[in-house]
Amino acid sequence: MTPILHHVPGARSFRILWLLQEMGITPEIKEWKIQDGSMRSPEFLCKSPAGRIPALEIDGEVIYESGAITEYLCETRPEHGLGRAPGDPERIPFLEAMHYAETIGHLIAGLNLQWIFLRNPEDRSDTVVKIEARRLAATLAPINEILSGQDHILASGFSAADTMYGFTLTAAGRYVRLEQFPNIQAYNARMAERPAHIAARKLDGERNFPGKDFYEVGA
Amino acid sequence: MITLHHCPQTRSMRVLWLLEELGVPFQVSPHAFDKTLRSPDYLSVSPAGRVPSIEMHGETYFESGAIMEILCERFPERGLGRLPGDPDRPDWLVWLHFAETITQHSAALTQQHVAIYEDAMRSPIVMKLEAARLKKCYAAIEGRLSTPVENRDYLLTSGFSAADIAVGQAVYLARFFATLDDFPETAKWYERLSERPAFKAALPGPDQGIYTKDFYPPWEV
Repeated sequence: MTPILHHVPGARSFRILWLLQEMGITPEIKEWKIQDGSMRSPEFLCKSPAGRIPALEIDGEVIYESGAITEYLCETRPEHGLGRAPGDPERIPFLEAMHYAETIGHLIAGLNLQWIFLRNPEDRSDTVVKIEARRLAATLAPINEILSGQDHILASGFSAADTMYGFTLTAAGRYVRLEQFPNIQAYNARMAERPAHIAARKLDGERNFPGKDFYEVGA
Repeated sequence: MITLHHCPQTRSMRVLWLLEELGVPFQVSPHAFDKTLRSPDYLSVSPAGRVPSIEMHGETYFESGAIMEILCERFPERGLGRLPGDPDRPDWLVWLHFAETITQHSAALTQQHVAIYEDAMRSPIVMKLEAARLKKCYAAIEGRLSTPVENRDYLLTSGFSAADIAVGQAVYLARFFATLDDFPETAKWYERLSERPAFKAALPGPDQGIYTKDFYPPWEV
């Protein structure tokens, strides 16, 4: 059976779309829209009980949370070599990446709420968006450091740690000037050249929520 | 010896609770929840200046979810993980990661109610939206615990696990901002967890922690 990916174009579910493409799997895509209320419908909540994307129907299971899906896919499809199983010398940096990508992701989600999803822009707090952009930059600094000596998140080469980070490190550029992190910029460009990344972008679809290239306080 | 870098009432509490459940020797290195977490000394342990981090066998690890996975794999005989291949593995992973989805909302609310010190900088609409999102998370837990066939005592069919610790501690933090009044199965589950000696051992001591009230209601919009 073809797996079904519950997806919003330009959102976190891109992580899973890209990983699946790296594994040579093209899912059936069920597209959802954040702002039309459909993600609160019983039809969606029975797949993803907190109403979040991504959710993936695969192997007779419905799995949600991008980190959980990524770990599951790597463990059940080890032939692609994209995970680092228990006992692997890179097991720990792999697990840290699975979770730290979401620490960065949540900061972006908080900024998305303030900048994109508040109905009334006057409700936005300049203080909060300034603090959060600064915290986001602080979480990027260690990644920029890692990428000074290697081409991928893990020293041994491309892995699902990259598919977890890929979307996040690009999205961070909406709120933090990435020029201050040249290794991250070069990494983003490198990842975008991968055939599976190109294929995933084609499947991603047109973004269905508003967005600007960069958000600056007072601009 | 394992050293846990800990601030009471933060995410490091879930690692403290897990270590207590595992019954392995460890020591706690307490930190204030302030800018000292950005000092060079601490950044060498946790590169983003966050708690928790742990030191174990000469290595340092960070990220609460990663640390919980590492500890469950290191001490498999305690049965708190569900290792690759276990039938409950997918659900264990889902709930472990979901704990962090819950906590991002509590973190935003902690910033709004506690960390920001000038009222004019607070945002009542963000308080309201984030508290509503916590309730959506409770609804997901409630659904999980009240399956049509039989109610579950714990998140996994196979019984208590580190998934309950991660989500249980996330609910501990969330309860400062959203009550469990409309979620009876979740309330019972939480009460069951909070009776565990290891949970009690992970609670803050007198005058410790970042919350000075039991509940922070959203402001009127």
